[in-house]
Amino acid sequence: MTRSSVLRDAATYLALGAGALLTLAPFLLSLMTAVKSPLQFASQPTLQPPNPVTGENFVELFGSRFGFVTPIVVTAQVVAVILVGQLVFSVFAAYAFARLRFPGRDALFWVYLATLMVPQAVTIIPLYSMMADLGLRNTFWGLVLPQLFGSPYAIFLLREYFRGIPGDLLDAAKLDGAGTLRILRHVVVPVSRPILATLTVITVVTHWNNFLWPLVITTGPQWQVITVATAGLQSQYNGNWTIVMAATTVAILPLLVLFLVFQRHVIRSITITGFR
Amino acid sequence: MGGRPRETRIAYLLLAPSLFGVAVFLVLPILVVIGLGMQRWDLIGPRTFVGFDNVVAVAEDGRFARSLLVTAVFVAVVIPAQTVLGLGAALLLNRGLRGSTFFRVLYVLPWICAPLVIGVVWRWILAPTDGALNALLGRRVEWLADPALALPSVAAVSVWTQVGYVALFFVAGLRAIPPSVHEAAVLDGAGPWQTFRRITLPLLRPTLFFVLVTGVISAFQTFDSVYALTPKGGPQGVTDVVAGRIYFEAFESRAVGQAAVMAVVLFVLLVVVTVAQQRWFSRRTTYDLST
Repeated sequence: MTRSSVLRDAATYLALGAGALLTLAPFLLSLMTAVKSPLQFASQPTLQPPNPVTGENFVELFGSRFGFVTPIVVTAQVVAVILVGQLVFSVFAAYAFARLRFPGRDALFWVYLATLMVPQAVTIIPLYSMMADLGLRNTFWGLVLPQLFGSPYAIFLLREYFRGIPGDLLDAAKLDGAGTLRILRHVVVPVSRPILATLTVITVVTHWNNFLWPLVITTGPQWQVITVATAGLQSQYNGNWTIVMAATTVAILPLLVLFLVFQRHVIRSITITGFR
Repeated sequence: MGGRPRETRIAYLLLAPSLFGVAVFLVLPILVVIGLGMQRWDLIGPRTFVGFDNVVAVAEDGRFARSLLVTAVFVAVVIPAQTVLGLGAALLLNRGLRGSTFFRVLYVLPWICAPLVIGVVWRWILAPTDGALNALLGRRVEWLADPALALPSVAAVSVWTQVGYVALFFVAGLRAIPPSVHEAAVLDGAGPWQTFRRITLPLLRPTLFFVLVTGVISAFQTFDSVYALTPKGGPQGVTDVVAGRIYFEAFESRAVGQAAVMAVVLFVLLVVVTVAQQRWFSRRTTYDLST
C-alpha cells in the first residue's frame, strides 16, 4: 500500500465518520433529553448528560395526563389491518397480472402504474369529502379504507417477482387439481417469502409514519395515531422538551428496530424501484 | 390477447378488490376534486354550486401565489443540495472500504422515520433558548422565527432526511458501471476529475434522472416536516409551502372549494414538471452498458 492511498483511505473514513455523526447526533440528543428529568433540563445546560438517567418522562407519557397508550394501540391496529389487506389483495392482483392471460390485461396494468403518479396532496380533499358522505369521519374505517385494497406499488413489485417463478412449479400444482387459491397459498406465497418480507417492512413503515390523512380524517383522542398525537403534544406543551422527546423516541424506536432487522431486504427493494 | 373464459373469470375475481381500490380511492378522487372546485363547502353544511367563483378567488389570492413561490424556492434549494451530497456520499461509499455497508445503512435511518417526528425533533434542536444547536454554538439564533432563516432551516432538515436515501440510488448506479470503463480512461491518461466528469457522470444519467424526478415530485408535496417545524406557514408566511396552504385553506379556513382548485393546480403543475424533466433527459444521450 502506498502512502498516498493510506492518506486517501483515512480521508474517506474521516468524511464517512463526519456524515455518521451528523446523521446520528439528532437521534442521540433527543434520546438524551428524553431520559433527563424536566428539572435537570430546566436548570442545567442543554448539552449536559442526564444525571441520573430517568424513565419518568416515559411513565408520565403513558399515564393518564398524556394518554400515549391509545395512539400506539390505534396505530398498531391501523397498520395491522392495512398490512393484511394490502398483502392479500396485492398478491391476488399481482398473480393475475403475472401468470394469467385475459383480455384487457396490459391496459389495466398500465392504469395501475399511472395511478402511482397521483399525489396524496391532491387526493386528500376529495377523499375527505367522500368519507364525509359515507359517514366515516373520525372512525377506524375512515382511517384504513382508502389503503386497504392493495397498492399499485406493491402489485408492481410482486408482479416482477411472480413472473420469475418457474412455470413447472405452477403446472405441477395445476395437474394435481389445485385451485387458484390453493396454488397461491401453497406454491406462490412460500416461494415469495423474501419479497413479502420486504413489502411487509415497507407497508409498516409507510403507515406507521403516515400523518396527513389521519390528521384530517380524525378529531379528538379516540382514533388519534402516533404522529398526530406527537404533533398535538408538541403544540400543546411547546417547551416541555423532555416529554416531547420521550414521545418522538417512542414513535421512532419500533421502526428503527424493524428496519435494522430487515435492512438488507429493504435496501435492495428501494434500489430496485424506489418506494412510495 | 386471448385467454380462456375460465382463466378470464378467475383473473377478474382476483383483480376485483384492487380494481375497486384503484377506481374508488385513486381515480375517482381526481374527478371529485374537480367537482369540489366548483362548489362551496365548509366541511359541515351543504355544498352549493358556484361555478368558477373559486377559480377567480384562488387567482386573486396572494397567499396561494406566495405558497407557489415558497415551494419553488424550497425545491430549488433542496434538490441540488440533496443530489450533490447524495452523490458525494455514494462516491465515498463506493471506494470499497471496509464498513461501507454499515455507513450506508446508517445514513438511511432519518429517511425511515416519520417526517412529522423528524420535524418535531429538529424543532427542539433549533429552539432558540434551550435547543441543542444554539447550546453548541453558544449563541442565540432564531432559526425558525427569523423570516430570513426559516426557509433555509426547513430546507436543511429536509436535505438531512434525504441524503442517505439519495445516496442509495447512486451507489446502485455506480456499481452498474463496469470497472473496465474506468481502467480504460486511466490508461488513456485521464485524471480523476476528468474521469468523473467525462465517464462516471454521463453513465449515471439514468440514476440521476430517477433521483431528480422522484425528488422533485416529493419535494413539491412536502408537508409533514414543515408543519412540525414552523406552524401556520412560519414567520410572515415564508415557509407556507403549497401542500400546507391547501391543508390550511380546507381544514382551518374551511374553504374547501378553493382548496380543491389549488389541489388541481398542484396536480397539473406536477404533471407538467414531470413531462418537462422527461423531455429534457430524453434529448440527451444515454449509454447502454448492458451489451
